[in-house]
Amino acid sequence: MQTQSKMQLLWVEKYRPRKIEDVTGNDEAKALFIEWLKNKRHTKKAVLLYGPPGVGKTTLVMAAAREFGFGVVEMNASDTRSEKAINAVAKPATSYTSLDSFAEGAKSLGNVLFLDEVDGIAGNEDRGGVNAIIKIVEQSLVPVIMAANDPDIDKLRPLKKVCLLVRFQQVRIPLIIALLQKICLLEHVKAEFEALERIAQNSRGDVRSAINDLQSLSEENNSLTLQDTMMLSSRNKDVSMDETLRRYFSAQSIVETSSLLLFSSVDYDDLLLSVADNLPKRYTDATELAKAFDYVSRADLFRGRIGTENWHLLKYFNNALAEASAVNPESYKPFTLITPPIRIMTLFWTKPKRSLLQAICAKIGAKCHVSVERAREAYVPYIRLMLIKKPRNPLAAYFEFTPEEVDYLTKMGRY
Amino acid sequence: MTIVLNSKGFKLPRLEREKFVNLMHLGLDYSRDTMLFSIKSYNNIEQVIDTVSSILGDEVVFLQNCIRCGKAFPCKGCSYIEMCTTKNLPFSCVCPQCLRDRKNFEEYLTKF
Amino acid sequence: MAASEEALMWVEKYRPKTLDEVVGLKDIVDSLKAFMKNPKTMPHLMFAGVPGTGKTTLALAIAHTLYGPNWKSFTLELNASDERGIDTVRDRIKDFSRYSRAGFGGGDVPFALIILDECDQMTGPAQTALRRIMEVGSRTSRFILICNQSSKIIEPIQSRCAIFRFSRVEKQAMKQHLIDIAEKEKYTLLPEAADRIVDFSEGDLRHAINALQTASAYKDGVIDEKTVALVIGEASPMQVQKMIRKALYGDFMEARKTMYDIMGNFGFSGTEIIRQVQREIFKMSDLTPQQKADLSGVIGEYDFRLTEGANSDIQLSALLAQFAKFGKNIEDSYADAK
Repeated sequence: MQTQSKMQLLWVEKYRPRKIEDVTGNDEAKALFIEWLKNKRHTKKAVLLYGPPGVGKTTLVMAAAREFGFGVVEMNASDTRSEKAINAVAKPATSYTSLDSFAEGAKSLGNVLFLDEVDGIAGNEDRGGVNAIIKIVEQSLVPVIMAANDPDIDKLRPLKKVCLLVRFQQVRIPLIIALLQKICLLEHVKAEFEALERIAQNSRGDVRSAINDLQSLSEENNSLTLQDTMMLSSRNKDVSMDETLRRYFSAQSIVETSSLLLFSSVDYDDLLLSVADNLPKRYTDATELAKAFDYVSRADLFRGRIGTENWHLLKYFNNALAEASAVNPESYKPFTLITPPIRIMTLFWTKPKRSLLQAICAKIGAKCHVSVERAREAYVPYIRLMLIKKPRNPLAAYFEFTPEEVDYLTKMGRY
Repeated sequence: MTIVLNSKGFKLPRLEREKFVNLMHLGLDYSRDTMLFSIKSYNNIEQVIDTVSSILGDEVVFLQNCIRCGKAFPCKGCSYIEMCTTKNLPFSCVCPQCLRDRKNFEEYLTKF
Repeated sequence: MAASEEALMWVEKYRPKTLDEVVGLKDIVDSLKAFMKNPKTMPHLMFAGVPGTGKTTLALAIAHTLYGPNWKSFTLELNASDERGIDTVRDRIKDFSRYSRAGFGGGDVPFALIILDECDQMTGPAQTALRRIMEVGSRTSRFILICNQSSKIIEPIQSRCAIFRFSRVEKQAMKQHLIDIAEKEKYTLLPEAADRIVDFSEGDLRHAINALQTASAYKDGVIDEKTVALVIGEASPMQVQKMIRKALYGDFMEARKTMYDIMGNFGFSGTEIIRQVQREIFKMSDLTPQQKADLSGVIGEYDFRLTEGANSDIQLSALLAQFAKFGKNIEDSYADAK
């Protein structure tokens, strides 16, 4: 299967622990969860694993399924017509085709219902909120495992009545470094300690993102220096933008991206810029990149036409942007996002230089009947040379340049 | 002063029965042979630390367990302590020597 | 300041003050002279053509001819690309017409002159607004609209103007002009050196004269080919070349980095960068004429998108991605040939 071969490329999948004891960190949560599996599930039907993303919640469930021999049936908790499905799950694993093959060959405990990302439902009253989850738990004839990313546990508090809460925390930096070292050795990547340290620290305890960063940074050559990690985006920032971009670039179809764009709360202009910034990291093939950029360019055309009032054109903007995400779903590999927008960073760092040059060009323009831009193109290269050649050139006084401006011109270099 | 204890074996003064049972309940283990307590379960680790602190009459800090060499070591001196959300809790970790020394690392890998 | 009284830049010093002094452009000058005989008949004018071909010079010469030495009191020079939008343009024109009318005192020129340069940099809506401004102000003022491409000007404006197209300055005329200027400045410009400047400037007189003046700063007396080559080398845009090559060789990331460099450090607009890209492509000796033509078509498309779109850096990046694809295709075709 296509998706299978693609999955194997991902180190997060390749090195996903198969045994509970190999799941890194979160000793306390692991112990609580195992205790629930062994004893408590007879008294409390459900367990909620909650904590930041990428710390091993799903991994632990999968590993436990293997060791304890139960089938994992993933279900969309927001589907209100799921009553039938819930009951179907109650049949023993042997007679039920489990979505995962973990139970195969193991001494089966039956099936377990697994609801991932329940925070999305709990916070959404349209989908029934927390009560919808409680209802599912009550209806279910088999144990229920739930996972939530939301740090705001207050929303999920009411679930305490029906389930055991297990808190996951950020994985410790040394543990992440150790894991990265191990992967490097197995993948034959020569990595500087400082590089791995930076990836680990930057991940803020998120093992998944750390492994993804390691893979994307060392993909091209089998070495990794601290210098290579400098472009890592800090993960301590606008989560929704990161999440949107991550989902945008890994989308499998235009339909998927379209609905993402429809429901995303991020600013259109920021998104457009960030997509353009990251496009060459997503598409490394020149033909794909050119095609994707053509769509982004069209999206930008519509953005220009929308201006401040023609918002009815937004759908065309979204369509064009969605097309760019799905030029070739097969070629997707995880990569480190470039944020914040390059343009904003460039313009920020170069602002003092630019405004100095702007002032110089305005002075030239006033004397020579040209625009600032034309002055920059047809005068600055020559005036610069004349000032270098004759340091006390009367031209400086003629254009009323300040000493700072003269200094800048003589040192600016060729554009 | 802070009292540093190894989570795999530490001594406590003689306890009343009720206190002892409570500690066992919270997740400690006691060996009659060595007369040492150890942490069996981390489920109530914060309560364990509070109780042991009050028994010993001072703040208690547990050592970390290195997943590579198996030694116990303190959080103090760790370069990442500032951003650690679980500092001083006796969980698994990697000691600085094992983390930076390539030799230790390769030795550890041969165990697989 | 005393120094500012006398024009130190040769482009200004030797800019013709009257229509009679203008070299070349005979057809255009003749038509303009006809208008000058009876200024009341002068319509709005549009001068279209590549930079440095005498558009600004002729516009200023008209102002001189109409108003004499006090021309500045009756002439408003505006640059569309420098003003912060059509509202600023409107306000400045309004203020100016109010003030200039008061100063007329019944002379035989019944209007003020508004020279609006780089009109093709204005967006569609801004041009529509400009059209309104021209309509309202036509009783009291005449417009000279200057642009590089008249095709980028909306139809209603074009139809209100007498359009004059400026072609590149003819090589021999430019060469003679340069030699004359050098002589007046007490330099001898060797013919090979003059040819070199003419070739480099591609018909842009502003570049040519500036290059000549710079060369004069390098050497007293005789300006030879070697000096000119040195100046040309130092003054030509290195970064744009670098950006194009990186893209064609498939290093999109580096190409884009250079693009942001040009925009950030030197403040060039997307339009200007794309104009230079167009120029540089034709200078590249390792591309076939067919390849140049193909690339030029691609550049044209993105030039258009640039004026319509919202973010010039996105459009330029998209162009660079097209270059990278183009470069890859050339490579592939070589590989196939083998």
